[in-house]
Amino acid sequence: MLNDLMNIILKEIKELVRDPKVLLPMIIIPLVMFPLMGFAIQTSMETAQQSIGETSIALIDQDEGSFALSLQAFMTANNFSVTHLDNISVEDALLQVQDSNLSSLIIIPSGFSVNITKGKTADITVYTPFRGGGIAESTRSSTVNTLLNIFESGILDQRIREGFPESNATQILNPIKSEDKSIVKGKSADVSPDVLFGLMLSQTTIMPVGMITLLIFAMQLAATAVASEKEEKTLETLLTLPINRTMILAGKLTGSIIVALVGAVAYLIGFSYYMNSFMGISSNITIDLAAIGLAPSLASYIILGVSLFMALLSALALAISLSVFAEDVRGAQALVGPLSILFVVPMIFTMFTNINALPFPLSIILLAIPFTHPMLAANVSFTGNYVGAIGGIAYMAIFTIIVLYVAAKLFGTEKILTAKLKFQRRIKNIPRD
Amino acid sequence: MSVAVEAKNLVKDFGSVTALDGLNFTIKEGEIFGLIGLNGAGKTTALRITSTLLLPTSGTVTVFGHDVVDEAAEVRNMISYLPEEAGAYKNLSGLEYLKFMASFRTNDKAAIGKLVDAASEISGLGDRLKDKVKGYSKGMKRRLLVARALMTKPKLAILDEPNSGLDVLHSVHVRTIIKRYAQEHKVTILLSSHNMLEVEYLCDRVALVNKGKVVAQGSPDELKKKFNAVNLEEVFGEVVGFA
Repeated sequence: MLNDLMNIILKEIKELVRDPKVLLPMIIIPLVMFPLMGFAIQTSMETAQQSIGETSIALIDQDEGSFALSLQAFMTANNFSVTHLDNISVEDALLQVQDSNLSSLIIIPSGFSVNITKGKTADITVYTPFRGGGIAESTRSSTVNTLLNIFESGILDQRIREGFPESNATQILNPIKSEDKSIVKGKSADVSPDVLFGLMLSQTTIMPVGMITLLIFAMQLAATAVASEKEEKTLETLLTLPINRTMILAGKLTGSIIVALVGAVAYLIGFSYYMNSFMGISSNITIDLAAIGLAPSLASYIILGVSLFMALLSALALAISLSVFAEDVRGAQALVGPLSILFVVPMIFTMFTNINALPFPLSIILLAIPFTHPMLAANVSFTGNYVGAIGGIAYMAIFTIIVLYVAAKLFGTEKILTAKLKFQRRIKNIPRD
Repeated sequence: MSVAVEAKNLVKDFGSVTALDGLNFTIKEGEIFGLIGLNGAGKTTALRITSTLLLPTSGTVTVFGHDVVDEAAEVRNMISYLPEEAGAYKNLSGLEYLKFMASFRTNDKAAIGKLVDAASEISGLGDRLKDKVKGYSKGMKRRLLVARALMTKPKLAILDEPNSGLDVLHSVHVRTIIKRYAQEHKVTILLSSHNMLEVEYLCDRVALVNKGKVVAQGSPDELKKKFNAVNLEEVFGEVVGFA
C-alpha cells in the first residue's frame, strides 16, 4: 500500500514539475521576476542617492547682500555645486537649466538680506525643471527645499538668541517634550507604539501574502492534478488499477503539497530578495523584541506551522472536491479560482483591524472561514492569544476531515466520472443527447 | 471452459436516459468476445460497469465469479481496462509510464522490468519509448496503451474500441497483437467496436447491442449462417433493420 502511495506521489511530482504551465509561473518566474524587480528598484534608488550627493544648482543673485552670500556658502558647505547665472535673463536661465543636468534654479531677489535683517519675510524662488526623471528627480528637488528649510531654521535660531539671550533656543521652540512608550503584555516597553505597529504591519503584510501564495499554488495544483487526469483521459485507467482509491487521493494531495511547498519557497526567496532591496536603502530600526516580550517563541512557531499545514490540507481537500465536478483543467481552475476570496477577505481584515473588535456577526463569519486562522496564528507572538490559535487549528482540523471525507466519497464512487456542473445546459436549456 | 464474465439483466440509467436496458451476455474463459453496435448503443457503459467504474442501476456482472460491485477490489486485481479515448501521462516517457503502471501489479523490480520488456515488445515502439508521450502520434499512443493493458497478462482484458481512430498500419498492428496475445497467454478479452469487419476477424463470439439490449449473439459464422449474410455488417442490418 505504501509502495502504491509512493508511486502516485512520484508520478504526480514528475508530471507537475515537468509541466511548463506549472514550472514557469510557480517556480521559475518568482525566482527570476522578483529578484529582477528588486534589482531594478535597488539600482534606481542607489542612483537617486548618488545624484543627491552631487546636487548641482544654478543661482541668480539679484540681492548680493550678506544673507544671500551666507546661503551660497551654506549650500557649498553641504556639497552643492553652485553655478552663477548673473548676467542673463530669467527666461534664458530657465532654458539653460532645462537643457542641463542642473537640479534647480534659485533666484534671490534684491531686498532679500534687508528683509531678513528687518525681521520681515524674505522671498526666494526655486525653479525645478520637470524632465520626467521619476523618484531621483523628485528627491533632488526635495533636497534643495530641505536645505533651504535648514538655513531658515538657522536664521530663526539666531533671532531667538538675539531676542532672548538668557534662554535656550531649542527649549523655546519645543516647550513640551513627549516621550512615547508602549505597554506590552501589561509591562512598560521603551519603544514607541508607532514602531511596534509598523513592525506588526510588516508581519501582517508579508506573512499573509506568503500564505495566500502558498495556498493558491496548492489549490491550483491539486485541482490540476485531478482535472488533468480527466482531460488527458487517464483517470479511468487509474481507477481500474488494483489500488485503494483513497491512496490515489492521498498521493495527489501529497504530490500537490510537495510541489506547492517548492513553489512557495521559490516565491518567498524571490519576495524576500525583493523586500531586502528596499530594506537595504531605508533606515533599519532594530528593536530587541525579546527584551519587551514580543520575540516569537518556539510555541508560536509551532502553532503557526501547524495552523498553516492544516490550512493547506483543507485548501487542497476543497480544491480536489471541487475539481471532481470539472471536465478539464481550465474548468477546474475556474471553479477553484473564486475560492481566493476566502483568503483575500481575512487578509484585509487581519491587516487593518482586530477581528474581535468587529461587529459580532462579521467576526463570526470571518472566524468561520478556515483560512482566517493561520493569519491570526501569524500574530500570536504579538497578541498572546495561544488558546484562540489552538482553537483555530482544531476548527480547521474538523473542517479538513469533513471535506476530505467528501473528497474520498467522491473518489470512491462513480461520481468522480459522472459529476459535472452543467451551468450552460441550464442557462441555454439545451436538450440532452 | 469456465465462465469468465456473466452479465445478467444489466440496467443503467443516467437520469432520464436509459443506457442499458436488461443487457445479458456470457463470456467463456480464453474467449475474445466482442460487443458490437452503433454509437450510443450502450457498449461503453457495459464495459465501464464490468471494469468497476460505474455502478449498475440494477442487474449484476460477475468476473470469474466475483461481483463487480460487492467485490470490486478482487475484480480490479484480475482485469486490465483500456478506455476508448484513453491517454497516457504526457510528461512521462513511454518507459516511465509503463513502469508506473507495472508497479501497481508487483513490488519486485525484476518483475517490473519483465513486464516493461513485454510491453516494449507488444508495442513495437523500440527506442521511442524513451521519448515523452506528448511527442507520440495517436497511433503510437494507442500501441503504448494496448501494450500497457496486455503486459500484465490479466485474466480479463477489457478493450473499448481498441483501434479507435487508428490508420490502417497501426490498426493491423494492434489487431494482430490482440489476437496473438489472447492465443499465447490464454487471456480472456472483452472488446467493443463499431467496426464489424474487424470484430469478425478478431472475435470468437460477438453480441450485437442495440438500444441497451443484446439483440443477437453467437460466433460470427453462426450469425452469418443464421441470418444468411455475407458479413457481420449485413447481420447487423438484418437484426436492427437498417439494411
